[in-house]
Amino acid sequence: MKIGRIIMMLSLGALVITASGCTGRVTTREVAPDEKVIYDEGYHFSDKKAIVDHMVKSLLSKYPLDRAPDRPVLIVYGIANRTSEHISTSAISDDIRMELIQSGRVRFVNETQRANIEQELNYQYGGNVAAETRIAKARQIGAKYMLTGTLRSIEKDQPKQFRFKKKTLMYYSLNLELTDLESGLIEWADSTEVIREASKPFIGW
Amino acid sequence: MICSVKTPSLARSGRPFSVSAAGSFILLAVLLLSGCAGRLEKASALYYQGQPQQALELLDKGDSLGGRNALLFLVEKGVVRHQLGDYRGSIDSLLAAARLIDQFETISLTEQAGSLVINDWMTRYKGEYSERLWIHSYLMMDYLLLGQFDDALVEARLALKRLEQYPDALKNDYFTRALMALCYAQLGEDNDAFLVYKRLAADLGPAPVAADLVRLAARIGMPDEVETYKSYLSEALPQGEAELVLFVANGRIPVKKPGNIILPTLTRISFPYYENRATRLPSLSFIPSDLTPSAVLSTDMAQVAKDALEQRKVQIIVRETARVAGKEALAQSVGNKNGGGTELAVRLGLMLLEEADTRSWLTLPGRLTLVRIPLVAGHYQLEILRGDSSGPLPLPEFDIAPGQRLFRSIRF
Repeated sequence: MKIGRIIMMLSLGALVITASGCTGRVTTREVAPDEKVIYDEGYHFSDKKAIVDHMVKSLLSKYPLDRAPDRPVLIVYGIANRTSEHISTSAISDDIRMELIQSGRVRFVNETQRANIEQELNYQYGGNVAAETRIAKARQIGAKYMLTGTLRSIEKDQPKQFRFKKKTLMYYSLNLELTDLESGLIEWADSTEVIREASKPFIGW
Repeated sequence: MICSVKTPSLARSGRPFSVSAAGSFILLAVLLLSGCAGRLEKASALYYQGQPQQALELLDKGDSLGGRNALLFLVEKGVVRHQLGDYRGSIDSLLAAARLIDQFETISLTEQAGSLVINDWMTRYKGEYSERLWIHSYLMMDYLLLGQFDDALVEARLALKRLEQYPDALKNDYFTRALMALCYAQLGEDNDAFLVYKRLAADLGPAPVAADLVRLAARIGMPDEVETYKSYLSEALPQGEAELVLFVANGRIPVKKPGNIILPTLTRISFPYYENRATRLPSLSFIPSDLTPSAVLSTDMAQVAKDALEQRKVQIIVRETARVAGKEALAQSVGNKNGGGTELAVRLGLMLLEEADTRSWLTLPGRLTLVRIPLVAGHYQLEILRGDSSGPLPLPEFDIAPGQRLFRSIRF
């Protein structure tokens, strides 16, 4: 009978292995926007907040924006993603723009809506809109400064050796530049970094 | 085969429960091993019969038994959606596949125990090293075709990481390496692009990439490198103010076959190998006939797949040895306690269960080729001649502007 038991146990084992992953219950909890929740060495939403806060503070407290009396006009030309992750860098530039606007110290050209602005202008001058309510053409304001940047990452894995956990070191750096569109000079630049180490077990159930 | 276990001699041994349990066990194992793989093979057959939509519908049903083949369902969907021109859908499938591979870094003890007792089909399919690289190759193509160059560059960096992990197994994948260089160059990452081309020149000879090396070295400011590679430039190199880049896929990758060694003790050692099937480099020409490619870089997918499997050979042998030793110990233990008849039955059962893991990514082409054609800006209606009796393959009409690089994917 022993062989029968062995075979039955093997069968049960195979079933358990096959069905594994079907067990467990889903749980949820609310997370505050300023709470740091980090699962691994990768880029997280709390990193974005830290990066944005640092950059906005630096932009508003240093030349040329610290002494600009006339709420200079800026245009954002995006942040290039040079990391090894599919990170939405437009989320970073959107948040920087929003915080700068809320500071009341600068204004922004809405570059992403240019096509829609053009379409609306064409409609207003297409014959359906009363002349006295049409907006004036050629009155848009040109940007004085251009905001651009690059997000980079360097990943370093622990060298191969006997161990039960794999350690990874992740380095992110965001560089931002403010370029004077008239002179072509970079008038402000800053960078901020996030460095994180994570370890993952090699063996699990 | 299951019936053959129920021999009269075994029935006379007075252990009918053992025999029926062994039969149930084998039947269960066969069911577990066959279900999802069958769906994958049917989908692959539909795809190669020119019915990608039906193949996709079948793949959408997914892996029903524990997700052991989840990776294969995702990668097959990635290729089928790419073929259908659904590049966003292809990206979704392949990114999910890449995330799954990341999870495989943790070794599951339950899974390993299952594979040591039965065979490697009990484990989740984790992809050969070559297949892991090709997930990034297809993602690069998808992103370039959609004009999402930042994302294509992310995939180029991830592909570089894979190449650095398994340099010997993957170095012959010239297509992916050229694609990576193109992703770097597209976004002005000249230094990275130069390094990839320089390594290609070392492995492949400088001629196919000399023009890129000279151009990039001049931009970075390395006159000595310009002089080095200038001598490899062809005088008749076509020039243009824009460029059409074609991703040409042809043939189909060979499937894995089971190799078997049966020892006199009824011990079966089974291992996977790739069958020999070469895919020729397509002899492409174009209508209008004055169009000439400036660069053609091609990967024999079968060769890279074989190299990758060879690299994993030690791992396969170690696992196989452990399994054979375990099964031998089990059979001997049963024989000592229950007699020769039962031992024979157990040996037969274990031998039937020993099966090489022949799972693989079936919809991959046999060859991937990167073709770059310099063009003058304007409107084009191109046809591709494949150097055989098949008729010309028309490309959808397109306009190209000065300085533009346009990407198209074809498969035949």
